[in-house]
Amino acid sequence: MTYAIVARCPITGHFGIAVASYSIAIGRHCDGALRAHTGVALTLGNPNPRNNYLAINLLAQGCTAAQALDQLLSNDPDSEYRQVAIVDRDAAIAHSGAKLRPWSGHRDGAGYCVFGDMLAGKAVLDALAEGYEREPQAGLDERLVQALAAGRDAGGLTGGSGRLPERSAALIVWGSRPYNEIDLRVDLHEDAIADLKRIYVDYKPSIAYYEERAKSPRNAVPAMEFVEKLAAGREAR
Amino acid sequence: MTYSIIARCPRTGRFGVGSTTFSMACGRRNESVRPNVGISKSQAYYLRHIDPLALNMLAQGHTPQHIARVLAADDPDFDYRQFGIIDRYDNVVAHSGPGCNQWAGHIVGPNYAAYGNGLAGPQTVEGIVRGFLAAPDAPLEDRLMMALEGGRDAGGQMSAGRKRPERSAWIRVTGARDLPEIDVRVDLHDRTVAELRRILEAFKRRREYYESRCTRPGDSVPEEEFEAALAKD
Repeated sequence: MTYAIVARCPITGHFGIAVASYSIAIGRHCDGALRAHTGVALTLGNPNPRNNYLAINLLAQGCTAAQALDQLLSNDPDSEYRQVAIVDRDAAIAHSGAKLRPWSGHRDGAGYCVFGDMLAGKAVLDALAEGYEREPQAGLDERLVQALAAGRDAGGLTGGSGRLPERSAALIVWGSRPYNEIDLRVDLHEDAIADLKRIYVDYKPSIAYYEERAKSPRNAVPAMEFVEKLAAGREAR
Repeated sequence: MTYSIIARCPRTGRFGVGSTTFSMACGRRNESVRPNVGISKSQAYYLRHIDPLALNMLAQGHTPQHIARVLAADDPDFDYRQFGIIDRYDNVVAHSGPGCNQWAGHIVGPNYAAYGNGLAGPQTVEGIVRGFLAAPDAPLEDRLMMALEGGRDAGGQMSAGRKRPERSAWIRVTGARDLPEIDVRVDLHDRTVAELRRILEAFKRRREYYESRCTRPGDSVPEEEFEAALAKD
């Protein structure tokens, strides 16, 4: 009941996740899945709550993505219920357990994996990949948002009685620092991907402002003033 | 403009943070909570690397009070920072620099710190504490939620004489494991605190099901069936 893309930006080396789910607050399950200069390792399906942390530690120790995946699977008696995708600085690899509910599967590309369970079909994965590939020169965050929207538009999630809504979504990007650069979430909404996009579009221009303001608080423009300027700029366009 | 509470549950040892602010997506600051170590939550003109630094120092064995002195000695703009730090021994420290947007201040209790800047006045922080103390036996996430509601109901945020809306909010509670037990967020909304309450209640009703799906996936019912049964309740 979830689909996701994990990727490494070929231009900046940043790692990122975009995910959407019928389950609520899916962003919680992305905790621990990213580390700067190391990789992204995300377990979904029926997620094993230890996997993200273990996988990142394995990558940091020097395991290849394939070795890390092997260890996750042999460490977990329920690995056939899990879906795991790992992208490190060199490779992209995924696993879809045989006991996930259909349609489930994954597809790896150059520096990314798309994967999901309870999908309308393979077309959803293809759309995720095409959405991501559409603008290879764009920022990783933009490409990830595009991928999610394309997955939804290709049919998204299906349960026993038809289409299931994406009720939660998340967009996370890590750069070179020991914390996220972008981490946006929608935890419960009838069209979580549309709401995530709304938040992303509003949020993006404020990133530089908040960084600058912390570095030189004596010269900071008040937050209200900044937000009003931003709104005026939008109106003018 | 932000108000927060950080706390350690005296019964269970769980750590939790509740925060709400005018800025978007305040819950992205998830580096501020570390299971079995503590919480360092900075705000106002915050530098992002401070919370991981403070938590690394806590993990090494330093006290929050010592860490606050180190941060003060190392920062020419310390007067513009606001933060709270709590450890496993219920040592709590809070700092509200005079350069923070007014009104700014904090209240420190035996296992919590409530603090904010750009507030209507001290009544907002008092409201946070009142909410937090209203049901001492409740689970930590509920106490944090009541704390945020208490702050909002006491007047919330204000700047330049005008009431300022809460646009994002966050509650995160960690227990013994790495994965947070509760992590609910509102990133941009016009009735943020009420929306966070709605999401927290929705998550609490699903929490056990999500846990069983992770730890005993072979026994778990299909999610649509679980949801249909919830809807009937």
